[in-house]
Amino acid sequence: MTLFINLLIAAIIVGLAGYEIFKITQKSKQGKCAGCDYKCEAKLMVDKARKQRN
Amino acid sequence: MTTVALMGNPNTGKTTIFNQITDSYAYVGNWTGVTVEKKMGNIKHSKVVVTDLPGIYSLNPITKDESVAINYLLTNDADVILNVTNAGQLKRNLLLSIELLEYGTPVIIALNMIDDLKRSGIYYDIPTLSKRLGCHIETTNARNKDGISQLRDKLLSMPTDQLREKPALKLEYPFMVQQAIRQASEQLVNHFDMSPSYARWLTIQYINKNKVIRKYAVHNKLTPLLEQKEYYDAQNFEDKIFKTRLAFIDSTLSAAQENLTDTKNVEMTSKIDSIITNPILGLPVFIAIFYLMFKISFDWIGTPLSDQLNSLLSGPISTYADHFLASIGAMPFLRSLIVDGVIAGVGGVLTFIPQIFALFACISLLEDSGYMARAALVTDRIMQTIGLNGKSFIPLIIGFGCNVTGIMAARTIEQPKERLITTLISPFMSCSARLPIYSLFVAAFFPRNQALIVLSIYFLGIAVALCMAKFYQIIFHVEDSTVFIVELPKYHIPRLDIIWRGTWDKSKGFVKKAGTVIFAGTVLIWLLSNFGPSGFVTNIDQSFSALLGKMMLPIFSPIGIQSWETISALFTGILAKEVISSSMMVLFHTTSQTALIATFGSMFTPVSAYALLVFILLYVPCFATIGTIKSETGSTKWVVYSVLSSLLIAYTLSFIIFQIGSLLF
Repeated sequence: MTLFINLLIAAIIVGLAGYEIFKITQKSKQGKCAGCDYKCEAKLMVDKARKQRN
Repeated sequence: MTTVALMGNPNTGKTTIFNQITDSYAYVGNWTGVTVEKKMGNIKHSKVVVTDLPGIYSLNPITKDESVAINYLLTNDADVILNVTNAGQLKRNLLLSIELLEYGTPVIIALNMIDDLKRSGIYYDIPTLSKRLGCHIETTNARNKDGISQLRDKLLSMPTDQLREKPALKLEYPFMVQQAIRQASEQLVNHFDMSPSYARWLTIQYINKNKVIRKYAVHNKLTPLLEQKEYYDAQNFEDKIFKTRLAFIDSTLSAAQENLTDTKNVEMTSKIDSIITNPILGLPVFIAIFYLMFKISFDWIGTPLSDQLNSLLSGPISTYADHFLASIGAMPFLRSLIVDGVIAGVGGVLTFIPQIFALFACISLLEDSGYMARAALVTDRIMQTIGLNGKSFIPLIIGFGCNVTGIMAARTIEQPKERLITTLISPFMSCSARLPIYSLFVAAFFPRNQALIVLSIYFLGIAVALCMAKFYQIIFHVEDSTVFIVELPKYHIPRLDIIWRGTWDKSKGFVKKAGTVIFAGTVLIWLLSNFGPSGFVTNIDQSFSALLGKMMLPIFSPIGIQSWETISALFTGILAKEVISSSMMVLFHTTSQTALIATFGSMFTPVSAYALLVFILLYVPCFATIGTIKSETGSTKWVVYSVLSSLLIAYTLSFIIFQIGSLLF
């Protein structure tokens, strides 16, 4: 593999990780259910309501 | 447009039914004066609007949140009331139903959780119940969506205009009470332009010392009621009303009850409860059950399975991945990122899935068998003895799964100060995210007492939470005013499908996190351990993570942490606690738990390992928890306080444990 492809793959992995960290901080800022990974009944309802609003 | 008010006791499946019968709904702000969100929705393919009201045990509110229901009845004119009941607890649930039936609006009663009732060996003859209560009854099992479409059809086809003409339920109260009701309601009809059924209901509620109705009567100058207040109270009419209602429920249920099997279950429940909820034996039984749970999760099932997964990951998977990457020309840094970073970190944490699944399966089993409610009751006694409200313990138990959901559950606490206290102490509960790091260290230093050590950490978390709660209670001058009510269901043999669903619901968050936050944390620590001030480094000692860890070493060495790698890993734990384990895998350059455990041997003693676990239990909450504290308290001040105080408590306790432990062992 060329150096470029190696760097590209590494950049994608690092970029994905960076995006995830960005998402985590944004979700945590929203607080409440957003920061939590558990899909409880209340959270499902909030998600559904949000989708309908959009 | 038809409006339906959804009412019922808490935990009867009201929200699940609301979800299933409506297709579009929205949160329309909070109910006036309280923090409870107001939720309204439309029944699928119709213009029928359903309003979900907070769960209540009676129309006489105990907490401010509960006053939403009675205020709704006073200010809104619903066409139909859908009263969701727990079929297994019908005797208590019908106390509210009677109040609703007396109101005069057509009522549909949904006997929910009908399967649980059948499992306890009892069934009710629905026509008999319906005839006695004078309303339509549907049986549902919302968890499986059984009976939901029939209920929806019934709501859509109800001729509300005709039903309104049907008289409200009239119980045969004692003569003196009847006379009082008749006299007051006649005057209300004549002088205040009320309908006879509404005037009768209002009078009964007033006589029954309903706080909201009494204020309503003062506000609207309802003199026929106000003038008789002292007479009603002196005659103890409230007690007479309650006894009449209870007798009516007893006779109704006796007439409708059909025994599917014998009543051994009831006898068995009371026999088991005499031991399990016994004031003396209750707590030891609670501890023993938790010990057994950890024994199964760690010693018996979790660790052996985890070891198998680990040998697969550190052996064939890592080797194959490395060879494959080399064969396609991947350069060393990319191979290191994928094999030593992503596979070691994310895969390393995933090898703890057996422990997590086993623990959640045990918790689901305890929930479905009916024990968890007893556990809350047993712990409530301890809470009461140190002057705390038992209601706070429910969010704390939920916090064992995830601190965020625990803090969210604190919303049920009416008193703002109590709610704040519960929010602040929730991060001390040992959430499931800490399990991987516990597993790693107990397997390394306490192989024979894994369950005992984890149990002690969990109980230390509870003890710290309770001590802090007491401290805050004194500082904030909290006066205990809310009431703790918990329902004790009958014991039954747990169902496999319910246990599986409970386990999966609780565990899937962990699996999902592996692909998001754990992956991100792993890559971050790989970058920090492979780059330094001079760029890409081949010697990890010159990396950013080493510099950071070494700088902090003097602060951490008094608590027994002698390796900079551990300190760097602790920092990444703020992203999510699972990341601590994955970071250690990356920092120690290993995909194998066995190799990691061997490395730990030269860096920790059992005492310093235990001190580290205590530190991990109590130090800074994760991002998600910090965000939730911020949104629930609405203040950055409390977030900063929570972070700093937990750090201080964690450091102090680990310091004491390490220093005293080192002297003793």
